Amino acid sequence: MSLSPSALTRRSLLKTTAIGLVMGVSLPVPLFARSAEPPPLADYKPEYFTAQEWAFVMAATARLIPSDGTGPGALETRVPVFIDRQLAGAYGIAADWYMEGPFDPAANPQLGFQSPLTPAEIYRQGIALFDGWCRQALGSPFAALAPVRQDQALKLLEKNALAAGKPPAGATPAEAGPLVPPELRDFFTLLLANTKEGYFADPKYGGNHAMQAWVYIGFPGARASYAEWATRQNVRYPLGPVSISGERA
Amino acid sequence: MRGLLRAVAWIVLLGLVALAAFILVPEQRTPPQTNPLAAGWQPAADAPLYAARLADCAACHTAEGGKPFAGGRPIQSPFGPIYATNITPDPETGIGGMTLDEFRAVLYDGIGRKGENLYPAMPYANYRTLTEADVQSLYAYFMHQVLPVRNEVPRTALAFPFNQRWGIRAWKWVGLPAAGFTPRFNDPKLDRGAYLVEGPGHCGACHSPRNAFFAQDGYTSKDPSFLSGGLVGGWTAPDLRTVGNAIAGWSAQDLDLFLATGRNAHAGVTGEMELAIAHSLQYMSAEDRAAMVAYLRAIGPAPGTPPSAPKRVVARAATFGGPDATATEKLLASADPAMPLGARLYLDNCGACHFVDGKGADGIFPALDGNALVTAPGTAGLITTILKGAALPSTALRPYAVAMPGFAGRLSDEEVAALATFVRGAWHNRAGAISPADVRAIRGAAGGGLDASSLY
Repeated sequence: MSLSPSALTRRSLLKTTAIGLVMGVSLPVPLFARSAEPPPLADYKPEYFTAQEWAFVMAATARLIPSDGTGPGALETRVPVFIDRQLAGAYGIAADWYMEGPFDPAANPQLGFQSPLTPAEIYRQGIALFDGWCRQALGSPFAALAPVRQDQALKLLEKNALAAGKPPAGATPAEAGPLVPPELRDFFTLLLANTKEGYFADPKYGGNHAMQAWVYIGFPGARASYAEWATRQNVRYPLGPVSISGERA
Repeated sequence: MRGLLRAVAWIVLLGLVALAAFILVPEQRTPPQTNPLAAGWQPAADAPLYAARLADCAACHTAEGGKPFAGGRPIQSPFGPIYATNITPDPETGIGGMTLDEFRAVLYDGIGRKGENLYPAMPYANYRTLTEADVQSLYAYFMHQVLPVRNEVPRTALAFPFNQRWGIRAWKWVGLPAAGFTPRFNDPKLDRGAYLVEGPGHCGACHSPRNAFFAQDGYTSKDPSFLSGGLVGGWTAPDLRTVGNAIAGWSAQDLDLFLATGRNAHAGVTGEMELAIAHSLQYMSAEDRAAMVAYLRAIGPAPGTPPSAPKRVVARAATFGGPDATATEKLLASADPAMPLGARLYLDNCGACHFVDGKGADGIFPALDGNALVTAPGTAGLITTILKGAALPSTALRPYAVAMPGFAGRLSDEEVAALATFVRGAWHNRAGAISPADVRAIRGAAGGGLDASSLY
């Protein structure tokens, strides 16, 4: 084998190494590519909610997806911001829903959403009703209750079984009796669904901050490109997620 | 002394007279070149429209959103915008009342109705080969089949010295080829193909390089640089001629499909060529298209063994990143978080359609491996496509205008540069790097459709 003029010499080796070092220094993948960090959640100015409503949404979502589990909670992922922005936008006014009558809010729930109220109105009236009930029955607004009491209250709200007065220990929903009017019966359902949406939706909508929920469950985001993985069984996909706006984590 | 002064004065005077003559004496119009037509000859019923489509007059003379052939589209030249004129038969703002001889002089000699010299943005250097039948078909089309539209187009106002139109006369001396078309293949199909490509199709206007006088470097396949690639507004009009050119390895059917639909197993049309497909090539008869294909294949390098057409995605996916894959494909298929930024951006933004092997999908998503736009010396095409997206033309044979979104909202200048540099060196591609400054220059330019960051 003859050596070509371009064969390895000490000089070319040094040069190549130097180039390699420079490339190595200049080309690492920035693991996180994020838009500017938003202001802290405590400083967020709600677009839709009043201060009292905001306090409720912060407290309620923090119980639905608490921060003391194995993954990020609703507050770290800024779920309340997502809900506020949704209610301030097209979803809040049910812009693309059929909202002409006739309304029969007491119809069989299997018939779907029957309320004449928009989601934003359901939150407004629902929070007022529920916070009022908390004050009357439990002595303080929802946000000020101890977490254990908050959980109890939410469970009753989930069953639309808020009774006047303090719930007796071990009271069944039937004993508690109805207080939530039919046009608000979807309040808890919406709150829970919107909380999950805010947790898992793309960060561009305000929640799932820094794609923490996706990282937590191993969802790789809006890459939509896994044909080469379809045949690999039981191999962990190593790349973190990417968002619609191109953030990487 | 006095004698010398007198001699100098005479020389200056003679020079001025010669210059005045050069500027003021009207040029000779080139007479009909081919096919002396019988008296009373009339084009066949569909010939005028066909000729206008063949010559792709609409690409320049119909403005975006404007009335057909009413002009006003700015043609970007290195010296400033040149506005395409109104060629509807409107008597005041168009070409109504133009005689056949005046019309032929526009096509052959670049001489306007008032004797003015036309900028060679009008490809009269190519149209000089038009047969008399095509000239008269075009004349019939623009006089009788186009609706007159009253539309005063903006005046072209280039900077000095390019606003001195008499200078174009000097340019024509060095820039124009001989008029008329001479068949030279001894094969009617190849000669028809040569006529279409070199003449009315004016393919060389973009796909040939320009010489020192900014004239097309070669007007027929006898010139080796003809169709060897050109530069248009920073985009490379690909080389169709030399070894390793953009269509090397394409089958005749691939090329035919590309001309008819703007897409095939290898590529999707981009840039100005999209207009050529949409307004012109898709309407050509199967025979004419086949003639162009035969000619283009005949003047290129001897065809080697064409690479087999890529398999369908479903069949390929099982072996993505397998032992026979390129290093790039293996890297992408590994999904290794330590991969370089360009590769990561490819997976995050491009891989869903173009796949880890860079082969795309037949007739839908162009292959990037070996793609002429990706590896072009003029990088504006690749950068523009990444930033602003692209759309295939809707054609009769393939109506779906498949579109790629732009990524300007999703990628910074540095990221686009890293991604573009990656694809230019990925798989079998070996083209140079792109800098963030290159990207910045194009990001500000107009144009573009849907952006990927606003898709949901």
